[in-house]
Amino acid sequence: MPEDELVPMAIDDDLCIGVGQCELLEPEVFRLDDDEGRAHLINDGRLPRDRAETVVDKCPSGAISIRPTT
Amino acid sequence: MAKPQTPVDLADPALYQRGIPHEAFAEIQAAPGLLWNAIDSDPDDGFWAVTRHADVVEVSRDPATYSSAAGHIQIYDIDPDALEARASMIDMDPPRHTRLRRLVSAAFTPRHVLDHRDAIQDRVDRALDAMVAAGSGDWVDIVAKPIPISVISDMMGVPPEDHDYMIELSDHLVAGTSNEPLEASAYGNTTELRLLPFNSPAAHGINEYARQLGEQRRREPKDDLVTKLINAEVDGERLTDNEFTNFFRLMIFAGNETTRGSMAHLALHLHQFPHEFARVRSDHSLLESAAEEVIRYSSPILYFRRTATRDVTLSGTPIRAGDKVVMWYSAANFDESIFPGPLRFDVDRPLRPPNVAFGGSGPHFCLGASLARLELTILIKEILNRDLKVEVIGEPHFVPSNFVNGIENLQVRVG
Repeated sequence: MPEDELVPMAIDDDLCIGVGQCELLEPEVFRLDDDEGRAHLINDGRLPRDRAETVVDKCPSGAISIRPTT
Repeated sequence: MAKPQTPVDLADPALYQRGIPHEAFAEIQAAPGLLWNAIDSDPDDGFWAVTRHADVVEVSRDPATYSSAAGHIQIYDIDPDALEARASMIDMDPPRHTRLRRLVSAAFTPRHVLDHRDAIQDRVDRALDAMVAAGSGDWVDIVAKPIPISVISDMMGVPPEDHDYMIELSDHLVAGTSNEPLEASAYGNTTELRLLPFNSPAAHGINEYARQLGEQRRREPKDDLVTKLINAEVDGERLTDNEFTNFFRLMIFAGNETTRGSMAHLALHLHQFPHEFARVRSDHSLLESAAEEVIRYSSPILYFRRTATRDVTLSGTPIRAGDKVVMWYSAANFDESIFPGPLRFDVDRPLRPPNVAFGGSGPHFCLGASLARLELTILIKEILNRDLKVEVIGEPHFVPSNFVNGIENLQVRVG
């Protein structure tokens, strides 16, 4: 089903300011580095599309996006 | 072509004597495009008043166009050397902003602020115990002030015996945005006021304190943010004395004044909307949205300003490079196109779209948002668990400021 389709996430390092909403929402995919205060992808960095869109929307600095798969 | 003008002067502190001027903001929101607010009747000085939620979000997420460094982030201009002297990350754009923010951001993520949950609970318990023991008194002094200042001071590394001093100093900083000046020589200050943040000698007091604490932590490192800052390196260099003291002051002011404001307003909300809090009492799943509604309704920071770096069109209005652009979070949080029935206090409002009390979007999104939410949630929960009735028995004295929506004194009776 399209909503269950797993999409790859991407984090723009320049925009990430370590707010941590991504980690709060999806701790299996996003983890904040304790020293640098920056988010990284963990495991396979993929989410079902609808949850991906929620995380993208929730990031206050707009650092998260769905990576184009073409 | 003449710019359409705001119906009132949003920079006048007197406009905020009874809290947020909802009618004026609604009128401005309803007008097409943006309205211009002249400053001190100067034909050459003024700002674009951004009051709609969508517009505030648009400005906040585009630091390249709407800069925090190209001009001061408060309405009034200050000289470049004065700006330089006081600059902390709040006055900077990426990439420098990002590098400074990352020095401390890990400590403020939702996961890490939970480390302070027990300490916050302890502070909340003590404050409410004191309030109950007194039976009546100033909610601001007994509850709203001490909780946030002790939490941020602990995180910074300020010892408990100095927390009151931090309160005193930051109270004076806010007074700098209103009409009540201190003696220029207060706190041993000898610097020209215009070179001090908020033009306040209390800033000198905080800077001196920060220096001394920094020295102590250099000699004896501890697990706190002052130690982290004093040892931090950005681009291979330690922070300068100025950068360090400015950072310290930013943390103390921002982590203190704002949460205090929301906790002070909470008492008003408990008094005015007891039926709403009764809903939360019987359903704790409403705690998160209740805290968020307190924050929206109180909008502790009324505005921040940006400066356009290029010609740009916003809401159909042409803005010129160099123009001041002021985001009125306190207006956007009552934008009825986003928050239906905005003056209705509703503990079950949807959490999306979010209110902009924490600054909307972009790199300056409030560092302390998760911490503030946690402190407020614990306070609300404890008040409800104790079945405390809070009754306001005097007129609230709002801080006379166009910048913060604070309450100076709030006489309550609890039972």
